Amino acid sequence: MSKKYEKPVIIKVDFTMASKYGSPLKTQKVRSEIDGVNVRNLVKEFGSPLFVFSERGIENKYNEFKEAFTSRYPDTQFFWSYKTNYLDAICKVFHKLGSKTEVVSEFEYEKARTLGIEGKDIIFNGPYKPKEALKKAVMEGAKIHIDHWYEINDLEEIADELGREIPVAIRCNMNTGIYPQWSRFGFNIDNGEALDAIKRIYEGKKLYMTGLHSHIGTFMLSAAAYGMEVKKLIELKNKIEEDFGYEIEYIDIGGGFASKNRLKGVYQAPEVIVPSADEYAEAVTNAIFENNKGKLPKLYLETGRALIDEAGYLLTSVWASKRMPDGKKSYIVDAGVNLLYTAFWYNFDISLDKRYEGLNEPSMINGPLCMNIDVIAENMMLPPLERGSVLSIWPVGAYTYTQSMQFIRYRPKVALIDKDSTPHLIREADDLEYVREKEIIPDFLK
Amino acid sequence: MDKIKLFFKPYISILFLRDYRVGIILFLFSFLLPSVGILGMAAIFSTIIFAEIMGVREHYLKYGFYLYNSLLVGMGVGYFFDVTILTLLLTLMLSILTFLISFGLNRMFINYSLPILSLPFAFVSMLFYLASLKYNSLITNILHRVPFFDLNLPFSAFFKSMGTILFLPYNITGLIISLIIFFYSRILFFLAVLGFVAGVLLHSLFIPFSASLNSFYNFNFILIAMALGGVFLVPNIRSYLIAVIAVSLSVILIDSFEVFFNLYALPVYTLPFNIITILFILLASIGYKYFNYSIKGTPEKSLEYYLSNIFRFGGNDIKINLPFSGKWSVYQAFDDEWTHKGEYRYAYDFVIKKEGKSYQNEGKFLEDYYAFAEGVLAPVSGYVVALRDDLEDNFIGNVDRINNWGNYIIIKSLNGAFYVEISHLMKNSLSVKVGDYVEMGQIIAKCGNSGYSPEPHIHIQVQFSPVLGGKTMPFKFIDYIKANRLYYYSLPKKGEEIEAVIVDKTSKLRMNFILDDEFVYKVYENNEEKREIGFKVKMNEKGEFYLTDGKNRLYFYLSEKTFYFYEYEGKKSYLKELFKLSPKIPLTNKIVSYYDILPVNIITEKTKKYIIEFLLSFNYNLFNKAVKYEKKPLEIVSKFGKISFSFYEKGFKTIEYENTKLILRNEK
Repeated sequence: MSKKYEKPVIIKVDFTMASKYGSPLKTQKVRSEIDGVNVRNLVKEFGSPLFVFSERGIENKYNEFKEAFTSRYPDTQFFWSYKTNYLDAICKVFHKLGSKTEVVSEFEYEKARTLGIEGKDIIFNGPYKPKEALKKAVMEGAKIHIDHWYEINDLEEIADELGREIPVAIRCNMNTGIYPQWSRFGFNIDNGEALDAIKRIYEGKKLYMTGLHSHIGTFMLSAAAYGMEVKKLIELKNKIEEDFGYEIEYIDIGGGFASKNRLKGVYQAPEVIVPSADEYAEAVTNAIFENNKGKLPKLYLETGRALIDEAGYLLTSVWASKRMPDGKKSYIVDAGVNLLYTAFWYNFDISLDKRYEGLNEPSMINGPLCMNIDVIAENMMLPPLERGSVLSIWPVGAYTYTQSMQFIRYRPKVALIDKDSTPHLIREADDLEYVREKEIIPDFLK
Repeated sequence: MDKIKLFFKPYISILFLRDYRVGIILFLFSFLLPSVGILGMAAIFSTIIFAEIMGVREHYLKYGFYLYNSLLVGMGVGYFFDVTILTLLLTLMLSILTFLISFGLNRMFINYSLPILSLPFAFVSMLFYLASLKYNSLITNILHRVPFFDLNLPFSAFFKSMGTILFLPYNITGLIISLIIFFYSRILFFLAVLGFVAGVLLHSLFIPFSASLNSFYNFNFILIAMALGGVFLVPNIRSYLIAVIAVSLSVILIDSFEVFFNLYALPVYTLPFNIITILFILLASIGYKYFNYSIKGTPEKSLEYYLSNIFRFGGNDIKINLPFSGKWSVYQAFDDEWTHKGEYRYAYDFVIKKEGKSYQNEGKFLEDYYAFAEGVLAPVSGYVVALRDDLEDNFIGNVDRINNWGNYIIIKSLNGAFYVEISHLMKNSLSVKVGDYVEMGQIIAKCGNSGYSPEPHIHIQVQFSPVLGGKTMPFKFIDYIKANRLYYYSLPKKGEEIEAVIVDKTSKLRMNFILDDEFVYKVYENNEEKREIGFKVKMNEKGEFYLTDGKNRLYFYLSEKTFYFYEYEGKKSYLKELFKLSPKIPLTNKIVSYYDILPVNIITEKTKKYIIEFLLSFNYNLFNKAVKYEKKPLEIVSKFGKISFSFYEKGFKTIEYENTKLILRNEK
């Protein structure tokens, strides 16, 4: 085979990392298959770009977290955070594993109900719960987590309408020693607002407290913050059980555990800075045991990102390459920021489908959109790629699909590889009809 | 009550037993020769009064030998002299002297962990006899001595020797003592006979048989055999053999002392027993495998304790926790092919494998390795004595030949007996510093690839010294799970995948019994409610905790990772059944099976128990009858029955066996 012609460029050679696999100029990250299925074959079968999820990956991660928590604290329950990824098939995988449901809107609530999840197995969170949706959730026995004072009023009205008391939990926020402090949702513990809210609920005599909820932030790299959160929740629990005679059945510590994604601006590798499931579990359960008085509460977790992020891949194919005026190579691929909203804060791990000949050089990966912002990777060392080379972008399991949009191009297909390494189509690509379905052309324009 | 116990205990201590009630019997029998009884009693009183005057109560209460040596001295005086003011005075003085010598000897002997036995008595007797040569006012009437009554028995020589131990060389006392010993310990009785027979037979090779059989000092054989074969060494054939050797040596000692001492009309008494026994203990204590480090009430109990310790609690080996959580595979075990050799042979390497590989993709990057960046847990509680975490993690295909150990941590165990070293940690991943206290199971670092490490793995070893690269010593892992079976105090083999046991704190909380906690159960038999019974948590004077129903005691202990019962005192009861149903409770939420070995007195009754206890000393494997237990989240099932727990309540929720069921009613 004759060597392909590459236009000569001058590259600074870096010898510091020379190993038996060669210098970084020759180091290539290769992911030729996902769960035993060749990435080229996936693209051949389903087209490109393609979201791919791994059932094995989900299950391993779920079991890792479940094991970490239940081995220390058996009465732990996971609630699948729908907003992280509410593709039906993905939700089904989690429910099959024993996860219940956490929703933050009437849309997610309905989606869970249509998947056969009973109201009592749904936690209804969020700052905006339309009254009708709230009433329906109450009637169906969902766990309502109150976010603000108005909602207490709403629920009391619903209690009057239904003629019965309603079990509720309140969402709390607090200083756990991290920045930024999420104080937008729920009632603040530190300034006594949470206690005031409970007093208000107690005096209203229409609702009664059964749980406490908090969510301290997202992509939390500190396990100690969870220890602090749980300490404050448990102290509040102790206090209201003593003062009001409530029996707090559960504490819900939210989610926010980090995945092995690489945040932009963070120097160290995610392996180094991301706490393990065990570290989170140790901090949380220790705080319960150290502070709890009276009966032990159930422990609810709304872990989303950490469970799914690493099970998701986006396969994209190289369409063309160019040489930029500054000498950098640019590749145009068929997936853009319309599918990778998360590209704005993550430096993804991007691997090749096979080993390529030639030296690595600084390259840029651009999407197909005719927009200057369509950059997937600003600067990475890549060997010369050809049209049809398949790149796999990882991890993209969390939020990426739910936040992807139909913009300029159709959204692609989604496949799920089951535990027997058989890929299944779990969502069709958009098409013109789908996109136009809800559009209406007024008569005067016809 | 305690004072009564204190007074009668010396009588029974002479026979290596502990039940003060039998002390009362011996006390009464000592009056067969009233002078022996009275002066013996006087000796104990004198000693106690003197000790009280000196204000050293704790001392004589702590060590039994202060009183029994005085008692022997008193009885010795009584054996030779009638009770008079003079002999009483003499007894008083000699008792105090005995006390002083006992204290002095103990001060010296304690440095070598040696018992003083009846050495003070032997010394003081000699002094007393030497002195008495000058005291013309003391006239012995030994030749006219007869007890109130006696019996004619076969094996009279044996019984008389037995009796001589208490200065009552008569059949009747010998018989009583023999019966007492037999009642409490078949092993001791066996040893008494063995010692006597061996000593007499060997002696008869040198002197005429009748002289050998009737020698006044044959009780030395009995004492030596009992002390070595049953008390200071763990009973087994080897210890019995040692006892016989000791007995045979004492023959020469007895004769030589007799010849020499006779020049001054000195008695030999227990001197041969003391010298021989103490010398043997001294030698045995430096490494005899069956040296008895914890002497219990009877040889049977010592033996059961010893076997329980070995078979149930892993013996005296060093035990550490796994340095990780989750499932890991053994990459190198002890004495392994690459680096675990020579002084470094006692070490383990662990990696994580999935589908047979320790990495994903092509395994060319550190982050491809499943073990990389996984948490490393403290394998023991202790203090950090050394560490380093500034070395780079080698990229795959490279090793650091200069800093072999890479980033490491050395932890000194709490008891200071050993050091644990963990190597190849990730750069900058240590979350503790030198001097910090770490708790077993605490996350202290991350697995890395620094040092001489071809791929990310955890290397762990136990060392004698805190020096990096120190000589390694053997150890065992406290527990691990392999294929749903929980192993205690074992070592996994190369290539095996094992899982660490994480402590479920809720189950620990459930078993955290506090003094005076009471658990009241309704007892159902064939589904019919019969009665109520309460188990209360109490503590004995040694600080050991037990559950009691008022009469019987079930001793328990809550360790870092297990709750277990280890001793039972009493008769058939619900508590005894509880021991069978859950001798060990792993504090884990995992569904696992595990095996445990029940002490003989728990699974057998009466005669059968006595026979097995005796035979045990000939074959330890009789003990090794493992029972399988299945641990479910809130339940333990075995062939004996089932116990269950409630998630929220302390203690056992139900206890079921045969047709009986106990249901927890409340907790007071």
